[in-house]
Order: sequence, then C-alpha cells, then structure tokens
Amino acid sequence: MERGLNIIVCIKQVPETVEVEIDPETGRLMREKYPGILNPFDEHAVEEALRLKERYGGYVKVLTMGPPMAEKALRDAIAMGCDEAWLATDRAFAGADTLATSYTLSLCIRKMKPYDLIICGLKTTDGDTGQVGPELAEHLGIPHICYVSEILEVSDGRIRVRRRLDDGIETLEAPLPALITVTKEINQPRLPTLKGKLRARRAEIKTLTSSDLDGDPSLYGLEGSPTRVIKVFHPEPPRGGEIIEGEPDELAERILRKLEEVGVI
Amino acid sequence: MSYGRVTGEVKRLLQDIVGSENVYDSPEILEKHGLDESPLPPHPPEVVVKPRTTEEVSKILRLAYERRIPVTPQGSRTGLSGGAHPIYGGIALSLDEMNRIVEIDEDNLMAVVEPGVLIMELHEETEKLGLLYPPDPGEESGSLGGNISTNAGGVRGLKYGVTRDYVQGLEAVLPNGEVIQLGGKIVKNSTGYELIDLLIGSEGTLAVVTRAILKLVPKPQYSALLYIPFNSTRDAARAVSEMIRRRVVPFAVEYMPRDAVEVVERYLERRMPDDEHEAYLIVGVEGNSEAEVEWQMETVGEICMKHGAEDAYVADTEARMRELWEGRKCLFEAYKAFWEVDEVDVCVPRSRLPDYVEGAEKIGERHRLRVVVNGHAGDGNVHAIIVKPEEMEREVWLGKLEAIVDDLIHLGLSLGGTVSGEHGLGYTKRKYLVEKVGPVQVELMRAIKNAFDPRGILNPGKILP
Repeated sequence: MERGLNIIVCIKQVPETVEVEIDPETGRLMREKYPGILNPFDEHAVEEALRLKERYGGYVKVLTMGPPMAEKALRDAIAMGCDEAWLATDRAFAGADTLATSYTLSLCIRKMKPYDLIICGLKTTDGDTGQVGPELAEHLGIPHICYVSEILEVSDGRIRVRRRLDDGIETLEAPLPALITVTKEINQPRLPTLKGKLRARRAEIKTLTSSDLDGDPSLYGLEGSPTRVIKVFHPEPPRGGEIIEGEPDELAERILRKLEEVGVI
Repeated sequence: MSYGRVTGEVKRLLQDIVGSENVYDSPEILEKHGLDESPLPPHPPEVVVKPRTTEEVSKILRLAYERRIPVTPQGSRTGLSGGAHPIYGGIALSLDEMNRIVEIDEDNLMAVVEPGVLIMELHEETEKLGLLYPPDPGEESGSLGGNISTNAGGVRGLKYGVTRDYVQGLEAVLPNGEVIQLGGKIVKNSTGYELIDLLIGSEGTLAVVTRAILKLVPKPQYSALLYIPFNSTRDAARAVSEMIRRRVVPFAVEYMPRDAVEVVERYLERRMPDDEHEAYLIVGVEGNSEAEVEWQMETVGEICMKHGAEDAYVADTEARMRELWEGRKCLFEAYKAFWEVDEVDVCVPRSRLPDYVEGAEKIGERHRLRVVVNGHAGDGNVHAIIVKPEEMEREVWLGKLEAIVDDLIHLGLSLGGTVSGEHGLGYTKRKYLVEKVGPVQVELMRAIKNAFDPRGILNPGKILP
C-alpha cells in the first residue's frame, strides 16, 4: 500500500465482569455496578489495526457511541497507539438497539472519511449480539467479513483474510473499503504504556452529536430501536458434550465407533 | 537418639483415633509423603495419618510421645528446604484434611482457619468481601499451616510484611498432646513471652498448629501493574533503590531477567509484553482512588526512565493484571516444567541487591551452571534458581549443587543478609544456622526446643544442626 491504510476501529465500553447481572424487574443489564473497560474483543480489533499500520503505514481512528464516560475506553485505545478518537454522544442516541447503533455509527463514519477498512470486535461481552459490525457495513453499503482470525494481506485495493468456522477454515477476499469483525484468536493485544497513557490523557476527543449528523432523528436511540426485550435469561450451553470414561483401550474403541456413527470417518 | 517404630499395634491404635480410612501405609503414598519440592531424595515415613480435628491431633501426639515415635507435620509439601521430609521415618502427620475456613470475622477483620487451607482459597474468600490477607508467596497451592511454619512472605513483603505480621492467635498441640491457645482476636498483647512468635517459623519442631487467627486488611480499591524493560540488571536495581528512597511504596516490586521472561513465554505459550531487554521489573501499585494509583504509576515511571527505561507497559484492568501477574507467578513452575532446579532464597539489605545479583551471576559462571536470579527485589529477598544441565549425571549435579548453594548463601551472608528469607532452613540449610546466628543463640534455640519437645519427637533433624 503506497499511501498507507486509513482504518477506523469501532469500540465499546463494557462493564468489567464476566458474570453480567440482570435487573430482575426491568430485565436490563446492570452495567453501573462495575467499572467500565474497553470491550475485550475490541482490544483485539485495536491491536489488529495497529499491526496493519505498522505493516503498511497509515492512520488509525477509533470511534465509539455512548455516554460521556465512554471517553475512558477511547483514551485506552489511544494509549495503546491509536491516532485519533471520536465520541458520538447525545441524549438522543441513548437506549439504542443494534440497528439504531449501527445507523448512528454509519453516519459518524461518513463524517470521518476517508477510510479503507473498518475493524470491529466480534461482539461485546455485555450485549453479546455480534450484530453491530455487519449492520454497520450494510448501512454503509460496503462488504463485510465476520469471524476473521487472520489477515493475510492487504494489497491492490483488496483484503484477504482467514476465518475459522465450526466446520473448517475459509480464506476470503473483499474489495476495499470493507468491514471485518475479528475474533480473539487473531492476535494478543499489547498493553498500553505509560507514555501512551500520558498522550491519551492530553489527546483531544472529537465529539459528534445529533446536530452534527445528517440523519433521520427518528432512527436514533430508543425511538429508532425496533427491538423489544421480552425476556432476559441465561441460555443453556448450545451443545452438551458427552463424557466417556473407561480404560484407554476400551475408550479408543468407543471413540472410533462414535466417529463412525456420526459419519466423519 | 533411638526412636520407637510404627508397629502393627501402633497402626491399629492410630486407626482407632482417626478411623482406618485416614491411615495410609501403601508404598506409593509413603513415598509421596516422603518428599517436598526440594531436590532431596525421599524420606518415606512409616505411616501417613490424616487427622480431621484438634482432638485427633492431640491423641496422635500423645501416642507418639509415649512411644517416642518421630512425627513430621506436613501441609501441602511445597517447601524447598526438606522441612516436610520425615528424616527418621515415623508418622507423617498430614494436615491437608483440616482445611476449613472456620470464619471470616468482618467485625474484627480476622479470619479463623485450619492449617490445611490453601493460600489461594483464603485469598479467594477474603477478596469476595473486599478484604486482603497480604502474605502472598508465589506458591499459592501452599497451605497456611506451612506458611506459618516457615514465616513465608511472598510478593507483598515490601509494603505489608510477612506471615508473622498477620498471625494474631494460634491453637497448637504440644508434643505430649496438650492443647494450647495463644493470642486471640486481639490487636495488641503484652502478656508474657510471645509464644506465637516462637511457633511462627519453627517449621513444625515445637508444636503442631491446628488453628490460626489471621489479621485481614481492607483491599485497596484500585490497583495496577507496570511491566518495565531495562537494558541492564544494574539499571533495574538502581531504580528499585530509588523507589524506596523516594518513599513510593508499591505493593510489589518483582525482578525478572530476560532468561526468566523467555522461559515463562515458552511455558505459557504466549508472549509477555516485551522480551527483548536484559532485565524487567514488575511493579504493583494500589490505592483508594484512581488519582493515587496514577500518581504512583507516574512516579515509578519517572524513576525508571531516569534509570534508562524507555517506557513502561501498564496493566490496569483485572484481565490485563491477571495475565501479566500469571507470568510472574508461574516463573518457578515454568523452570520446573523443563529442567531439574533448586532455589536459594537469601534475603539481603535492599541497598545491596545489585551486588547480590551480580555476584550470583558470577558464581554461576564460575560453577558453569545457569543461575537465574529473580523475585522480590522490593524487599531484598531475591530467589536464585539453579538449573541442572540436561546432560549432567544426577550424582554430579547434587554435588555441584551443594557447592554452588554454599557459595550463594555465603555471598548473601557477606552482604549482611540471611540464609533464607522465607523458605526456612528445614533439613538442607540447617548447617548454616551456627554461622549466621552464632553458638550462643543456637544454644538458646536448643533450650527452647527442649522446653517444648523434651523427647525430640517433633520434626527431628530440622533447623538445629
């Protein structure tokens, strides 16, 4: 890439916990109880953007939509090495589902042009939907690839990636600009440094409110969110494993029979 | 001194006390209980007994006392000085079934525990309540009883001190079976000789601890770890000295040379934040406000940069801290996974740390053995791991090991240090006692031993030469 890559990373601030508690009355996630951190999946998105910049040159902007305190996650991304931070914040944006969120983000990104690549974490640890990335690409009318576990190459206006699915590994290619969502396998995120944190503290956060965007206000926030939460519950694990016990010889036989039964050998 | 044997009759009497399911004499189990994590060959006991109550411990000791059978109290046998080796056979008194956290008393900020509770179990329970039991030896699968018996300290020694500073009360059984209660849920005590302090660090030679009352402190709400690369060990050591001089009190200052970072990366199969420098410090800071933690981070950073560091990596979320800390905590395990190793844990005055680290490396070169100095730089208790070359015969290794350990300990002593900071003398290092404390103190210690254990049945062959 001659002129380097312009990359936008979309991030979110999430509560620092693995067990999200649910308010039994409203069914809402109780986010206030925990300190806010950069969504762990987004750390991988930021890391991958920084690695691409190191490889091809370029510029990394980071974007989030949220209350003013979401600034903390943006500063964390700057501390890791991102160049510029954007915060979309407005009361009108509050209560957004994934559709309203991705719509709003797409309007922000039109303001942040130019871009070659948008990188999102696979999903957030609080909402867990994985929908915002693909929806954002649809709003922008660009191709997207989810579950990316390795970026092979970016050249001649195309990106070539690998993704691991349940039944194999796919190699895919898309023309730029494109959007990818990345899994945790893609890299090991770097830690921010002290100098990075000092730079982040001084960094200017560019703010966007509804008046800065050229969108339809009825599609923002709660008003623009068709999603209705009927019930919130902890799902059962999707696949129960089967534990076979016994002596090694006997186990080998039984596993062999099992594999034949399901037809993989 | 001749000891009584564990006869069939003794085994039956032990079975009457603890039930037959808690008395073991199969060769595999005897072998297992003949070992700790030191390189010593095993000293299997004649029987392993696992009591569940103080009363059972008392009855076992009374029986052993009457028949003059040696008794070796054991925790989780993670010690490194042979302290849990039953040198004279007899009964291995394994306390790992006495493993209840009896109470966490939030009104008095104290925990009441049995000796078999593991360090990590107490940490987990106290942290749920926003409390901290500060002693934190690297070996978290060690038992609290074992920690009390060696007065272990671990990574938080710099700010919080050692196990001794947290034991407020003990229940212990004397060799004749008598049960004594020392101290209590009290913060101050000026009532006679402090026998608690005699029992702490006595490595099971005076009495068997069956319950402990431990002081807890409020856990600071905010913390962070810094991972700081340096170009040389001397630079890192100078930075540590300046932190202490400047009154920054991190809760941990741990030193890792590049060798250790690379071994940890190989063991964990992931990268540490940096592995291209000679020396690393991991510095832990904490406080009750974000501002306090940031001030400490910046001060530590400024000091380190003054001493040649370019920047410092910051782990300031729970997940990031856990990952980085794991890299430090697994260090000894990592070496053990690939090689046969031993460890010397002298503690020197903090100002002499650079001299110790450099001297230890020279000793390694002289003996042609790989010596990896690492650990608690903040309190002067650095650990020197000695690695056995793969091709070396075991016999040769044990001989060379003895010689190099001797040199390392003498280096520590010559710098005003002590033989062991936290592992204890046990069996392997007892020969250094006279040299360190002199004959007068050794005689006082002997008199104390006789006062508690006139028949010499409790953990014989340990501490005293």
